[in-house]
Amino acid sequence: MARRRAKYAGYSFLIPWLVGFFGLTLGPALASLYLSFTHYDLIESPRWAGLANYIRIVSEDAKVGDSVRVTLVYVALSVPLKLGFALAIALILNKGIRGLGVYRALFYLPSLLGASVAIATLWRKVFSGDGLLNHVLAYVGIQGPSWVSDPDHALWTLVALSVWQFGSPMIIFLAGLRQLPQDIFEAAAIDGASARTQFWRITLPMLTPVIFFNLVVQTIDAFKAFTPAFIVSGGTGGPINATLFYTLYLYQEAFGYLRMGYAAALAWLLVLAIMAVTAFAFMTSRSWVHYEE
Amino acid sequence: MSTNRRGFLGGTAATLGLAVMPARAQATTRIRSYWWGAKDRADRTNKVAEMYMKANPSVSIVGETLGWGDYWTRLATQAAGRNMADLIQMDYGYIFDYARRHALLPLDGFVGKQLDLGGFTQQSIDGGKVDGKIYGVSLGLNSTSLVYDRAAFEKFGIGLPDWPMSWEELGKRTAVLTKAANRPGYWGMNDAGGSGPALEVWLRERGKQMYTAEGRFGADAADMSDWFGFWQSMRTQGSCLPPEVQALDKSDIDTSGLTTGKSAVSFANSNQLVGYQALNKSRLDIAMYPAGAPGTKSGQYLKPSQMFSIAATTKIAEDTAKLLSYYVADVEAGKVLSVERGIPASKPVRDAIDPSLDDMGKRMSAYIAFISDKVGDLPPPPPRGAGEVLALMVRTNETVGFKKLSVADAGKQFMKDCESILARG
Repeated sequence: MARRRAKYAGYSFLIPWLVGFFGLTLGPALASLYLSFTHYDLIESPRWAGLANYIRIVSEDAKVGDSVRVTLVYVALSVPLKLGFALAIALILNKGIRGLGVYRALFYLPSLLGASVAIATLWRKVFSGDGLLNHVLAYVGIQGPSWVSDPDHALWTLVALSVWQFGSPMIIFLAGLRQLPQDIFEAAAIDGASARTQFWRITLPMLTPVIFFNLVVQTIDAFKAFTPAFIVSGGTGGPINATLFYTLYLYQEAFGYLRMGYAAALAWLLVLAIMAVTAFAFMTSRSWVHYEE
Repeated sequence: MSTNRRGFLGGTAATLGLAVMPARAQATTRIRSYWWGAKDRADRTNKVAEMYMKANPSVSIVGETLGWGDYWTRLATQAAGRNMADLIQMDYGYIFDYARRHALLPLDGFVGKQLDLGGFTQQSIDGGKVDGKIYGVSLGLNSTSLVYDRAAFEKFGIGLPDWPMSWEELGKRTAVLTKAANRPGYWGMNDAGGSGPALEVWLRERGKQMYTAEGRFGADAADMSDWFGFWQSMRTQGSCLPPEVQALDKSDIDTSGLTTGKSAVSFANSNQLVGYQALNKSRLDIAMYPAGAPGTKSGQYLKPSQMFSIAATTKIAEDTAKLLSYYVADVEAGKVLSVERGIPASKPVRDAIDPSLDDMGKRMSAYIAFISDKVGDLPPPPPRGAGEVLALMVRTNETVGFKKLSVADAGKQFMKDCESILARG
């Protein structure tokens, strides 16, 4: 009897979360799964379409190809660069410099501001033709192009924006570095291992679980990136689809052209793609991630 | 309880960037209105709402406003949630969609009762009809127009854009302006190769149209190659902005090359002179789009710049119709709204505001009077997918501008993509 009451008490404490989960997460997700098999323009009722949306995405829509390419390039460039940068800064901060707390906060700041509209707007200003960057370059005699509005450079400005927001993986790297057992490094130093050898042979292998964690989280984040491209291109994905992220294309179809069914199908394919990439990362992790027993 | 609800509404409104009338205790009818536009328009619209509430203490009006792009997203979302505002600003490009999907209320039953259209010409009433019924009431008459920096042209003694100047002539004058100004980052005019309204005028001057009554695209690959080729030659001769500068233009007043100080001519609408002038120090003026062959009619037409419609889901149709009537037919309201949305359709309102118009209002009024006998008929409404065709125009024009596609191929590529968009709807 008492156990049963305890059980009820537990569930009653869970109610707020359960309401949120069923009402705001699971419910809409299932609704969007249903909508992905319909034509739905928000104003009229959804019409059943079977697999038509999915077939169009896979076989007929050239813009899907464009957006997938842009997204993959973005993920492949921004994730390694961001992780490398974050690790480098974490290594420097781990040297025990004075005022560490201040630096940590400073370096973390961009990540806090990161996804905000204000920063993306700022980015647009900094990287435009007569923006801050080109003014600086002008001092050293370089006349830079209009970075955000040139199809050959626009994606790079978004990659740079992402790398600049290295704070959260950096903090996690730093915590990981702090936990490495110092006795191994001492033993290695006594045996005459150089700092470089210590890094490649001890630090990096022992840090692989943290690297793996950061890799998975950042990859998922990169696939989902939306705000920077939306703001920097003014929602167009331009110039000439150069910044047409998959998520941005999805948004255009949904809220620009009111093709909710089609957009829902795009969204579910994105979910499947992220799941597949994550599963792949976990599979390969067995061969390179080192867990201490 | 009521305090809480009001506080909640206020909070929600603040986060959405809405303008909220103070809700009043004795109000029994709450009318929601919704429009797009800049701050100047919001101030005028809210002022009229306040005047109406003062005269009708039982009514409270809640105004919501957004920019053009977000406006339609939110309206569609509201329509889906059966939660549309009662009084809605409508555009000619969207009214057919919304009316045919039964999202708007036919207004014929109110005319002559709650809704006073006595001062309207039949033509301006017909502009708001869909399939024979009135779904929208004109808030002002406008037409496309060049908005240009008059001072810049005068400074270098270059002939002002004037009717009937050909497209090539405009190109020549702006090329001279670019050269005379001789400033890095400054060109004669915006690149309008990606502008739907500019293309439509140009096509009509060729005897073609943008969309046929059957909803098909009215031009062919050769026309489109000529169009994109014309703008490519404008870039080459230095008449218009280069592609990487034009790409920063989001087709609105704030980001137009004219406003950002990079060009002297913008392809715009006549009522936007007010909005442009508010953001530009230099003295601006308006002129007609260039002409086709000598002696032919202009490709422009007069249209309702915006309309007011009533949501089909409203529970207070009669009260909303009365408010609508106040906006379009009341002389005092007209004085506040002035010509910011275009020249009012109601003759008594026009007559009342005419003497008090400022210099800008007079020029706009004179412009509409000047073009009236030079323009053509209202074209058929754009089909579904027309919005996406506008985006395709920008993209194709950029592809040519950045030299990733030849002019000859651009026409073919555009037609292929355009037909696939329209077929999908």
